[in-house]
Order: sequence, then structure tokens, then C-alpha cells
Amino acid sequence: AEGPLARTIRTKLTAALQPSHLQVLDDSPRHGGPPGAESHFSVVVVSGRFAGLSPLQRHRLVHAALSAELAGPLHALAIVARTPQQWESDPRAPPRPPCMGGSKHERDAA
Amino acid sequence: MNGVLRAAWRVGAASARGRAGRALSQAASESGGAEGGGGGSGSREAVERLVRAHPVVVFMKGSPEQPLCGFSNAVVQILRLHGVEDYRAHDVLQDPDLRQGIKNYSNWPTIPQVYLNGEFVGGCDILLQMHQNGDLVEELKKLGIRSALLDAEKDQDKK
Repeated sequence: AEGPLARTIRTKLTAALQPSHLQVLDDSPRHGGPPGAESHFSVVVVSGRFAGLSPLQRHRLVHAALSAELAGPLHALAIVARTPQQWESDPRAPPRPPCMGGSKHERDAA
Repeated sequence: MNGVLRAAWRVGAASARGRAGRALSQAASESGGAEGGGGGSGSREAVERLVRAHPVVVFMKGSPEQPLCGFSNAVVQILRLHGVEDYRAHDVLQDPDLRQGIKNYSNWPTIPQVYLNGEFVGGCDILLQMHQNGDLVEELKKLGIRSALLDAEKDQDKK
């Protein structure tokens, strides 16, 4: 079942980018969080709106759609952003880096 | 190429696990907090100095010797594949002001962040893409850095 943040991400990206293909994955369990933590996500967004945009510009569009979440509970966001033609010629996302327990190494807030 | 990356990530992850790590609270969040104060380590001026200090500057969690985050480690391993070992790396976990300041500076919400010639290039995903499509070799060349992968290709041609 998709958690509330996953649903929000899906709704906002759909509204902002009208994707032909959209995958929203909660990676939080792979980053040491408990089930349902909803802190680390990866998204695959396929949209004609990315045409002519550099990777940086594409990622900024995705960030803009999720700015409230990124300022809040969304701790990390991995992005694959392709045009429909690009996705058709390569419908795969690159391998995700393994977790290295980063958030466990953070200092307590002073 | 993905096989090489997976192998590199295993190397980084193994070295991290080998350390005795302190289990600290996961309280610290990435949410927007106070802006870096004037003159503080997170101020625009301070960040500007850091990104201009070297052709390759990385803001990450942990260090190149001991990355503390899979995405930060991926950046380190990609640079290593290209033979780039001389660069400035800043551990944002050591400096909360810098951690917020670098996000304000680039208007980019996450760590790691890669700067080439003082210009923000992107995070781990973008660097990976640049590595896979050959753009990183070209960008390094513009900085006067010859990617090790060019020599690797030359060696293969000689066989």
C-alpha cells in the first residue's frame, strides 16, 4: 500500500508534469528507517515537458513540484527524468546506491 | 558500466561498515531552518569562497575516505573511476550552518552537491548520468583534468 507521502508525491508530480510514466518508490526501508518511514524516495518521471531541458533543469522542475515536502519530511529524492522518446529507447533506471546509514551518523541537534 | 559502479559502491560500503560507528539519533532533518548568518560558515560569501577554491568541489556526508551516505559515496566512487582524487570535499554533517547554506546557495534541497569550476552541476543522479553519457570526461577536460577512463580506453585499443 502506498503511504500518504507517496500519494502526495504522485499527485503533485502528475499535476506539475503530466507524465506519461511515473514511478514513485519509497526507498526508506533500504536506508535504515522503519517500515512506512517515508523519508527517502526515488522517482522515475517520463514527461514531454522535459524536452530541451538539461538534467539540472529537469531535476529543478521535479524539486519545484515537491518543494514543501523537501522542506519537510522528504529527506532524500533520487530522480530519473526522461522524455518519452528517451524512455522508449531505454526503459530502465540506473542502480540505486546502497545505504550507508548516513542519518545514523548525524550529530544530535545542539 | 553499471557492473563497475555496483562493484565500486560495494567497496565504499564495505569500508564504511568496517568502522565502529556511533549510533546517533536520527533527529536532524533536512528541513529549511534559519538562513546561514552573515559571515557564518553558511553565508553566501563563505559558500562562494568554498566553491571557487578548487576546480572540483563536493559537499557531502562524511569524507572521501569514509563516506557516510550511499549517494555521497556514489559521487566519490565516480570521481575515483575518472582518476580524480585531488578535489575539495566538505562534510556537511560537521557543520549545520554549511549544510543549510549550501542548499540556499544552489537552491538545491539535497546533499551531495558537485561544483565544477565554481558552478553547480548537480547531485549524485546527474553526476552518474554525466559519467554514463561521456559528459563528465568532457567537463573534466575543460578543467584541464584528463579522465583516467581515457587512458583505460587507450590501453584496451592496444590489445
